[in-house]
Amino acid sequence: MKTIVTAISTLILGAGLVLGEAVVGKPAPAFTAKDIKGKTHNLSDYKAKIVVLEEYNLDCPFCANHFKTGAMQELQAYAASKGVVWLVVDSASPKSPSYRDPVAAKKEFEAEKMKATAWIDDSSGAIGKAYGLRTTPHMVVIDKNGVVAYNGAIDNKPQADGDPRKARNYVREAIDRLSAGEKVKVASTKPYGCGVKYAD
Amino acid sequence: MQLLARWFWVLAALLLTFTAQAAKTDIRLALDLETARPGDTVMAGVHMRMAPRWHTYWRNSGDSGGATTIDWELPPGITAGAIQWPVPEKYVTAGLITYVYHDDVVLLVPLTLSAPVAPGPVEISARVSWLECAEQCLKGKGTVKKTLQVGTTDKKSADAALIEEWKKKLPRVKSDVRAQAFWEKPDTESRNLIIEWTLVTGGADPDFYPFEAKGYEVGNATEKLSAPSGKAKLKKVVKKFEGDWPTQVAGLLVEKAGGATEAFQVQMPIMESAAASGGGIGMLPSDAPSSLWAALGLAFLGGLILNIMPCVLPVIALKILGFVQQSQQSPREVRRLGLIYVAGVLFSFLVLALAAIGLQKAGHTATWGSQFQDPRFVVAMATLMTLVALNLFGVFEVTLPGSALGAASDLASKHGASGAFFNGFLATALATSCTAPILAVALGYALATPQPAHIIILMFLMLGVGMAAPYLLLSWYPALLRFLPKPGAWMEKFKMAMGFPMLATAVWLLARTADHFGDRGPLWVGLFLLLLAFAAWVWGEFVQRSSRRRRIAMAVCLLLLAFGYGFCLEKELGWRSRQQVDRGNHKSSPDGIDWQPWSQAAVEKAQAEGRAVLVDFTANWCLTCQLGKEYGLEVPSVRSKIKETNTLALIADFTGEDPVIAAELKRFNQAGVPLLLVFPKDPKRDPILLPPWPKLRPSLVVSALDQAAK
Repeated sequence: MKTIVTAISTLILGAGLVLGEAVVGKPAPAFTAKDIKGKTHNLSDYKAKIVVLEEYNLDCPFCANHFKTGAMQELQAYAASKGVVWLVVDSASPKSPSYRDPVAAKKEFEAEKMKATAWIDDSSGAIGKAYGLRTTPHMVVIDKNGVVAYNGAIDNKPQADGDPRKARNYVREAIDRLSAGEKVKVASTKPYGCGVKYAD
Repeated sequence: MQLLARWFWVLAALLLTFTAQAAKTDIRLALDLETARPGDTVMAGVHMRMAPRWHTYWRNSGDSGGATTIDWELPPGITAGAIQWPVPEKYVTAGLITYVYHDDVVLLVPLTLSAPVAPGPVEISARVSWLECAEQCLKGKGTVKKTLQVGTTDKKSADAALIEEWKKKLPRVKSDVRAQAFWEKPDTESRNLIIEWTLVTGGADPDFYPFEAKGYEVGNATEKLSAPSGKAKLKKVVKKFEGDWPTQVAGLLVEKAGGATEAFQVQMPIMESAAASGGGIGMLPSDAPSSLWAALGLAFLGGLILNIMPCVLPVIALKILGFVQQSQQSPREVRRLGLIYVAGVLFSFLVLALAAIGLQKAGHTATWGSQFQDPRFVVAMATLMTLVALNLFGVFEVTLPGSALGAASDLASKHGASGAFFNGFLATALATSCTAPILAVALGYALATPQPAHIIILMFLMLGVGMAAPYLLLSWYPALLRFLPKPGAWMEKFKMAMGFPMLATAVWLLARTADHFGDRGPLWVGLFLLLLAFAAWVWGEFVQRSSRRRRIAMAVCLLLLAFGYGFCLEKELGWRSRQQVDRGNHKSSPDGIDWQPWSQAAVEKAQAEGRAVLVDFTANWCLTCQLGKEYGLEVPSVRSKIKETNTLALIADFTGEDPVIAAELKRFNQAGVPLLLVFPKDPKRDPILLPPWPKLRPSLVVSALDQAAK
């Protein structure tokens, strides 16, 4: 049955590329990936910790607004203070103008004063596709048991300008609630932003 | 100091990003009119021209991207409606599905000039903000401006053709698309929605482009299911974010035929399972069939009544006796001639139907009863009904010119089949003096409630069937002739009595002029009708029935008409221009519902305050609306429920022309009023649609209000 569904979806999408989905309440898809410094990260390394995945592309006006205003770095620092692991996932394919090689990525990480745990090189698109990440920024929050607790937009203001701090930030809410041992109230929303630059 | 330096760098970086990445899309403003009159609706278009390979987005951008937004800056008295989006292109790249425009697009927005806009140039300005993408995405922003002249005549601009061209690319709002939506099977996490419809163009590659929605998302991937030929059946995954599962779905049914894309805008209720008949349901929750039967019944009755008009009844017996004589008592021949005669009658009514359709097409008929939004139509109809009544009272006659009458009777006096046919065909024409009033009413019905062409033909044929029925019956059973009422003075009395319902209609129409002109409407139109009636009497008494001083009488007639028209309608009323009327407080009685004027903002504000909202889309000329309000809304149970649930009651008055309300009606796939909606206090939930009167019962309203307040 599963194969039939996949085959049909493949036909529908035409591009031969099928996005998976990180379903809220289900275990988060496992992954092993290298960051831009060459360090290997395995999701299972972070059992007992809250993990945030941030699909990232600074060329995208929506993403850029969160960084240029400093709102994203603030949120990353806040997450770090709560002991949350924050992984920036860059799924831009090497063919895309938005691709950053490790050298450029390291420079950008410094220049933007990022407070994330690591920048994962996902230029193969493996993580992005397994989680069904559609846009930059598309956010996923995984709880201490490795279960998807939030999947969707970063906040309720799908705009590429203005101060994001004034919006209702769903990721901050999810971190707060999970830290307090509560259930996440808004667990899924429609992600907004530019399409992820996967290889065709 | 350090902070200042930091800000400087942030600013510099921002400036750099904006200058380094100039927008790839050019924008300009197009208006279809260069000069417009107060009361006009000017169609504005934001023309976006994208660089090669770059695209901007539709109202629902899809998996990624963002819709273009337009913020208007308009002088007082000019208001902008919602964006009308041309049908987009479904664009798949790297597994992501989006709805986009490549090359160029014109986003259309109706701008309405209210009456008090002062003449002279006004500046129309809009801030446009968009996302444009190719391999990368850029944020685009710009302001477009155009000067519009407000004057006394309309003048098309050089962009009129461009606007017209893009209007054709809008989805069609076709109310009779047969479509249905239902859940494949109820599930908890994600559900499959099945959308089924009867193809309109018969084109291949059907698809459904969902509108943006709050709280849920209709997936952009489409799975085509096998369907009988001529039908489309699609499966869409629906993901719910919060709240209840949606009960309605809106979007475009898309068909591709011969390289062209046709799209139909729909809003469908989602059913728990497929309709038992499998035939699908009509999109409009209307009671059209029952009212159609009633209208057809009335038409048949009207046709029958035509027969007892003084100038027709005496002829019936003669006609049938004529047939009997001609056929030398052979019953078969009598029946044959009778049938041919009936065919002649029907043919003449078919001609009339086609004329009515032509008239209807000549006027613009965008929405139900939209003619009543035009004061000129109301005045013309009031005039027509008054004349019809006067004619029935016998104040004056309607006669055909003598020569036409002669030619007609020549043809009809021929014997045999052709004689019978022409007899039937011309029975209507010959009897014009009596049939005109009823035919005028039928014509008025066709014009007042824009019916599809086939319904008009059906209506007129039914009139014909009614008129021909006695002939048919009598040619089968000539013996029944003795039961035929004897012609006599009673017919004249009956005709006169028929004048009173016509007068009643005229009174109602006269009252409607208040909607357009305020208190002055009934006064001046009434005075005009009085002068018209006087002129009709002079005409009947001194021109038609007198042989002396006919010229003087004619001059008096013309003088009366000219004075009535020139003074009452032109000078005092200015009847051809639309006028702003303060329709005032809508509260019907001290303990009645406290209606407030409708606006999208008012609905959103109330929802933000946690209140449910009842919206009554209505118009003074809409009888169904008035009956619905009287017996379905302004009743104690509904009044107290509104107070108890703290529901905000809003009235959207469509009595005059209003593009904002028209757009909202269109959004709910309604061709016109009535439309009754209850917006739940949770803005993520879809509004509840209430049926029109007579299906509208207070208990239904009360339960909808309860549900909305939850």
